[in-house]
Amino acid sequence: MLLRLFWTYLKIGTFTLGGGYAMLPLIQHEIVDKQHLIDEKEFVNMIALAQAAPGLIAVNSAIFIGHRIAGWRGVAATVCGAVLPSIVIILLIAVFFRQLKHIAAVEAVFKGLRPAVVALIAAAVIKMARNI
Amino acid sequence: MLYLSLFISFFKVGLLGFGGGMAIISLIQNEVLRHGWMTETEFVDIVAISQVTPGPIGMNCATYVGYTATGSVWGSMVTSFAIVLPSLIIMLTICAIYDKLSKRWSENKVYQAVMRLIRIGVVVLIAHAAWTLITPATFTDMRSWVIFGAVLLCMLLPEAARVLKRPEWAKNKAVRVLSHPVFLMVLAGAAGYMMYS
Repeated sequence: MLLRLFWTYLKIGTFTLGGGYAMLPLIQHEIVDKQHLIDEKEFVNMIALAQAAPGLIAVNSAIFIGHRIAGWRGVAATVCGAVLPSIVIILLIAVFFRQLKHIAAVEAVFKGLRPAVVALIAAAVIKMARNI
Repeated sequence: MLYLSLFISFFKVGLLGFGGGMAIISLIQNEVLRHGWMTETEFVDIVAISQVTPGPIGMNCATYVGYTATGSVWGSMVTSFAIVLPSLIIMLTICAIYDKLSKRWSENKVYQAVMRLIRIGVVVLIAHAAWTLITPATFTDMRSWVIFGAVLLCMLLPEAARVLKRPEWAKNKAVRVLSHPVFLMVLAGAAGYMMYS
């Protein structure tokens, strides 16, 4: 059971691009629809709690589901599964990025990315301001 | 000492990070620039990478900052653990009282007022973060502003559909792809490559 929880979250953590919100439909698919570990209503409650509490939404939801299904051991399984891919992939990139940075083509790509990042943050401001 | 201040900073980020990814990024930015762990440009690059790699963006960013600030894998371990720790404490407390928790807790007036105040604070925080990232190093010329405008416009397409009272547009497949952050980052990277190399 613990292994399955860990494996499920590892899969979700590895294959979701775009952060915590992108993880939610996958969690729903795996945990609610396929494995029936919690029901739909509890899943909705979980999202509300994970958003209301501070911290990463993906991690908050992993803690809730892990705890509901298998207590603190479940929490260890889901949280490790959710964050392990992040840590491994980012460390690999961080180690090599310093060398890559000096290549002209890489610098050109990042010159395009930087204003786009600021635009993403600005868009988040406008979206959130509308929902106050 | 560096490890201790990294731990305290990221524990704070985890504790105060209401409102998901961008709020957490803004808090991390604030800590990183305040301590001089990296420059605005380095930070923006990290956010870009965090956005297009799998996993929660806040976690990607924390891992990266931990490594860059210390030059060691242990720095990443400290920041990742510190950012998750407040979540563990708070969520496990919530789980423990979950069954006693009123199912209508979200309709409580005091709770709603507090959450509204927090949301206002978060919006101001993120706006300030976006503002401080507009520097000569990140916006090198007019082309930067073209990319900024185009990405912002695409990101706001679903919002525009709601303002125009056409919610079905937001569900349109083309609109959904066009307003997806990962897609836009790939596009912006390609644009940068074509414009600057």
